[in-house]
Amino acid sequence: MDTTQLLKGVLDLAVLAVLRDSDGYGYDILRRLREAGLEEVGDASVYGTLRRLFAAGLLTTYVVPSEAGPHRKYYALNAAGRDQLTRSGKTWRAFATTMDQLLDDRGMAA
Amino acid sequence: MTVTGQEITDYVERVRAALADLPPQTREELTEDLPEHLAEVAAEADGSLVDRLGTPEAYAAELRAAAGAGDPAAGRRALERRIASVLGRARARIDRLDARFGPVFGHATAGEFLRLLRPAWWVARAYLAAMLLTALSTDGPLGLLPRLDGHAFVGLLMFVGLLYGSVWLGRRTHELRSWRRWALHASSAVLALFAIGAVADVDDHARSGYDYGYESTSVDNPYNEVQDVYVYDSEGRLVENARLFDQNGTPIRLGWPACDDPALPDVNPVQRGYPYCPQQAPFRPRPPAVAPLPPGSGVGPDGSPSPTVPGAVPTATVPGAVPTATTPGTPVPTVSVPAASPSVSGPAGAPLPTATG
Repeated sequence: MDTTQLLKGVLDLAVLAVLRDSDGYGYDILRRLREAGLEEVGDASVYGTLRRLFAAGLLTTYVVPSEAGPHRKYYALNAAGRDQLTRSGKTWRAFATTMDQLLDDRGMAA
Repeated sequence: MTVTGQEITDYVERVRAALADLPPQTREELTEDLPEHLAEVAAEADGSLVDRLGTPEAYAAELRAAAGAGDPAAGRRALERRIASVLGRARARIDRLDARFGPVFGHATAGEFLRLLRPAWWVARAYLAAMLLTALSTDGPLGLLPRLDGHAFVGLLMFVGLLYGSVWLGRRTHELRSWRRWALHASSAVLALFAIGAVADVDDHARSGYDYGYESTSVDNPYNEVQDVYVYDSEGRLVENARLFDQNGTPIRLGWPACDDPALPDVNPVQRGYPYCPQQAPFRPRPPAVAPLPPGSGVGPDGSPSPTVPGAVPTATVPGAVPTATTPGTPVPTVSVPAASPSVSGPAGAPLPTATG
């Protein structure tokens, strides 16, 4: 099963989750996702997702001038974003538990 | 790091082109921090952007899908989509040609080679801008040096200033966004058009300059209007069948036989002497046959009466005639005749008797 197919469904949640720790800019968020184990996440997917979440009103942005490099646009969770993270998190937990249960019942090792 | 700023710029451009069907604002939002992101990707490892991120078109598709921004199959903006797809195909074709002609220039792609020439274009466009200002500030034909209001030195300073600005701008082109970038491209196109026009103009002047020079000398030639040549000798006589030669012995041909009688046999004009038309001589045609002397020699008849007069007047004989009548012996009675004669005859006759009488 292709992980990228699964990612499509949960990328929103993953992005919201890594932003819960601290604000971040695009490349930084991408790196955090990969460090967390989502190696196959695509650059453009993360950027597109950030844009969409922002457009949906779940994120705020601010620009941080950088002395060495380009200015960076940071993304941060707002209240709506945190709510969404909570709800989506619960949904995912329930879904994952159901799936684990389903596989366990049929004797498939994790 | 093997990825250049130029590669990043090109990648961004192609991503934007692939998103051309989106509303400009949406597209701008989707790609605004793309250059910065690509710079970080480029800094993290070796290899081209395409190797790590896939083609710009695939990147754009992923970006579009993740952002949930307008499925390209949606009905709206069909025309823009068609244009975008045409542009996309053209771009793909150019890319293939780019790669095919790269080896000709010793590079992976022709574009890579052309990018090396960019600084040359910066210099050229500074020169063209200077020439454009020259054309705007001065009337009359354009030279090759920039001038401001006719001053070459000021023009040179202007060129140096523009050169500095052009290089500065050239090194920052990939940082420009949206309308500034378009303005730069538009002004480049204007300069290119101006260059074509100016080169054509200068070429025109350079070539017509020869024509003018040739024509002016021929207009100045005072012998252009000469139709015939009349040679007179020192006595004022018209010389017929005269021939003229230059210092090399080459015959000097002037005029043409304008008065030829068609009845006369046709003679090669090169072999003919001057004048072609003696009867049209400016200083009286040939003198009438009666008078052997030319008209100008009017002094001649006045100066030569002596030979003709002798026959008319017998007075010259008087000295001889009178004395015959006078004999030495009878001097007295003939005294009445001119007083001069005795003195003339005196020496011839006998001086002594007259002195006594």
